[in-house]
Amino acid sequence: MTIANKNYFEIFSLQECFDLNMDKLAAEYKNLQSQIHPDKFSDADDVSRLEALQLSSIVNDAFDTLKSPLKRAAYILTLNGINPEEHNQKHLGETLLMQQMDWRDQLDYATEEEDLDAIEALKQEVIEERESCITEFQDCVNAYNFVDAKPVYNKLQFVEKMLIEINRSEEKILDY
Amino acid sequence: MALLSISEPGQSPRRKQLIKHALGIDLGTTNSLVASASSKGSFVIADANGAALLPSVVAYSKDGNAVVGQKALDAPEHISSVKRLMGRGASDIKHKLSYTLIDSESSGMPLIETQAGLKSPVEVSAEILKVLAARGKKHLGADIDGVVITVPAYFDEAQRQATKDAARIAGLNVLRLLSEPTAAAVAYGLDKKLEGNVIIFDLGGGTFDVSLMRLEKGVFEVLATGGDTALGGDDFDRAIMQWIQEQAQIKLQKEQVVELSAIARKAKHQLNEDQSVEIKFSGWTGVLDREHYYQLIDPLIQQTLKACRRVLRDAALAIDDITDVVMVGGSTRSPRVQEKVASFFQQALLNEIDPDQVVALGAAIQADILVGNKYDKDLLLLDVNPLSLGIETMGSLVEKIIPRNTTIPVSRAQDFTTFKDGQTVMSLHVLQGERELVEDCRSLAKFELRGIPPMVAGAAVVRVSFQVDADGLLSVEAEEQSSGLKSSIVVKPSFGLEEKEIESMILASHQEAEHDRDLRRLKENEVEALRIIEAIESALSQDSDLLTEAELKTLQQGLGKLQETLKSGDADLIQQHSEALNELSVTFAARRMDSQIKTAFKGKNLEEVDR
Repeated sequence: MTIANKNYFEIFSLQECFDLNMDKLAAEYKNLQSQIHPDKFSDADDVSRLEALQLSSIVNDAFDTLKSPLKRAAYILTLNGINPEEHNQKHLGETLLMQQMDWRDQLDYATEEEDLDAIEALKQEVIEERESCITEFQDCVNAYNFVDAKPVYNKLQFVEKMLIEINRSEEKILDY
Repeated sequence: MALLSISEPGQSPRRKQLIKHALGIDLGTTNSLVASASSKGSFVIADANGAALLPSVVAYSKDGNAVVGQKALDAPEHISSVKRLMGRGASDIKHKLSYTLIDSESSGMPLIETQAGLKSPVEVSAEILKVLAARGKKHLGADIDGVVITVPAYFDEAQRQATKDAARIAGLNVLRLLSEPTAAAVAYGLDKKLEGNVIIFDLGGGTFDVSLMRLEKGVFEVLATGGDTALGGDDFDRAIMQWIQEQAQIKLQKEQVVELSAIARKAKHQLNEDQSVEIKFSGWTGVLDREHYYQLIDPLIQQTLKACRRVLRDAALAIDDITDVVMVGGSTRSPRVQEKVASFFQQALLNEIDPDQVVALGAAIQADILVGNKYDKDLLLLDVNPLSLGIETMGSLVEKIIPRNTTIPVSRAQDFTTFKDGQTVMSLHVLQGERELVEDCRSLAKFELRGIPPMVAGAAVVRVSFQVDADGLLSVEAEEQSSGLKSSIVVKPSFGLEEKEIESMILASHQEAEHDRDLRRLKENEVEALRIIEAIESALSQDSDLLTEAELKTLQQGLGKLQETLKSGDADLIQQHSEALNELSVTFAARRMDSQIKTAFKGKNLEEVDR
């Protein structure tokens, strides 16, 4: 089987699971790139060079997808026939929607007050929530329960978005 | 796709017998260098007088001959700092030049007036490259098989393309365009066996680059890159010039500019050694001491540290994670720069390789490998694209397809659809930058996909694929999925943005993120509202007889209201009325569906329908 026909886990000879060995992933990635990167074919013919470009791009994309928990989660859902982007607010549940509003209020207030300690505390809270989402997602995947994994993914998606906004506020205050 | 023949690690599929000759070229704003590498090591090639640096200055004589370097500097009319014009439109160039630019209608890049006629910045750069290549050829006593040319990591698509074009004009085979910080890392990594998370701080005469790289076992991975294409040692000179003018209380005459800038540059260099310097200019005498000089340049150094912070954040690493800091570029000779950078990263700095030469040396090593000489050397460079690439969508918004700091080569695709019923043409506008609105990003190219089979709005699926190669150059392809209709383009940049916008793009993107977000929401809501209006109007023109008079009236009232609201610029209000109108049209849509099914089934028996 060629790289182009393999799924991202197969490309790196990894078992399809959420809880990846990141060191092994990075090592496999570098090992593959050192064989197929276009620089290794700089004096080869056009066809080989084009193939190197395409394969190297696929491997970069595969690595980019698997190294991020959010993208990896979406990819696992897709592999198992579930469209991760099919959005449904109801999936998020009322508790999370309430929390979302609460977090945003806290962030707006702290940003206005330029209260970095408050932002840091909020960040820790959101990071904890992310960890719990990741664990929950992992449990679902381990039990092959992809239907229940989907709303957890959407929750993770929202938590990651929140983290980006927190970072932005922090950068604004610190004038990065 | 066929499987590539993958060789055992350490064995490359190349011919082994022949030694090939390659050069590394650092094409700088103020000075350029050429270097060569072999199994014995790498070295910079000097000219007959023993000078390694070639001033990046070109002068043309009436008969069309060009002289380059010191000789050109002595000529009354010469072209300097041409690197600043590469890949730029005339309106991008805001600073004063000692030569005249003429707008060019054909290429977009401005032309320079010379005694030998109009010359493009690409041609002028080619003259510099020719001299460097000739120097290398003479030294090696052999034809040159290929070169690696370095570019600032922060160079955009247009600037990279222009550099590659210059090499083509000079008759050189470009093995690779290499980012300057990456080249420096190669020199340190291979010659000094550096490993870990390394910051490459590259402050030259006109540009500033900072890259955070992970170096391990021959793999050089760029984790994040940032910088400012208009910040360098020249700005230190300008700060001193400004100070002299204020102190001497004189209004500068045009012809004094060259003299004053030379005085300022001299003072800057002297202050690297001495505590204070006496300055004489136009009958005025004064003393500039270090303390005061530092007050002048600290804000500039602060800007470089800001970019360092951003790069750390982009790579999600802390200062503690940084194992080494490498100093590159002539301006890092300033003790104040060293002091500030060392204190920011809380460690001693590496500058054992000449900061002027290190980039050319790294380029030479990479050139030697790419041309096929170092078979046993396991070296892999994984670079990133410095700025996000995207495509214009409805409402003048930019949909990012490849975000900044993505490892290259990379290919990404995204599906887009038609906006109107029966739409057969789709125009694609490719952009580069961090902001959300088209007008705030750099326009790279525009092209059209024609002949899309007419379908209802939203039914055609056009897949737009972006491919960035290892040089950081982009090609774009669009394909309509049902018909297989294709259109593709290798990006030949169009110019038009102001330089300032490019320089401040990343910074501004964060400051304005909030504003952008609000605007984006408004635009999105407007587009959605227009889509609903379009759909309902189109449906009404065909099937209004399915509605009672009262129903028709309500629907038309809803339409009118939404059209009115569209002018308000109020995102919430538009959304509210769009939803209301959508609600009103539900019954209508259901009835249209019924009627269509009935028409389709009319006169057919069940068996036919089944098929």
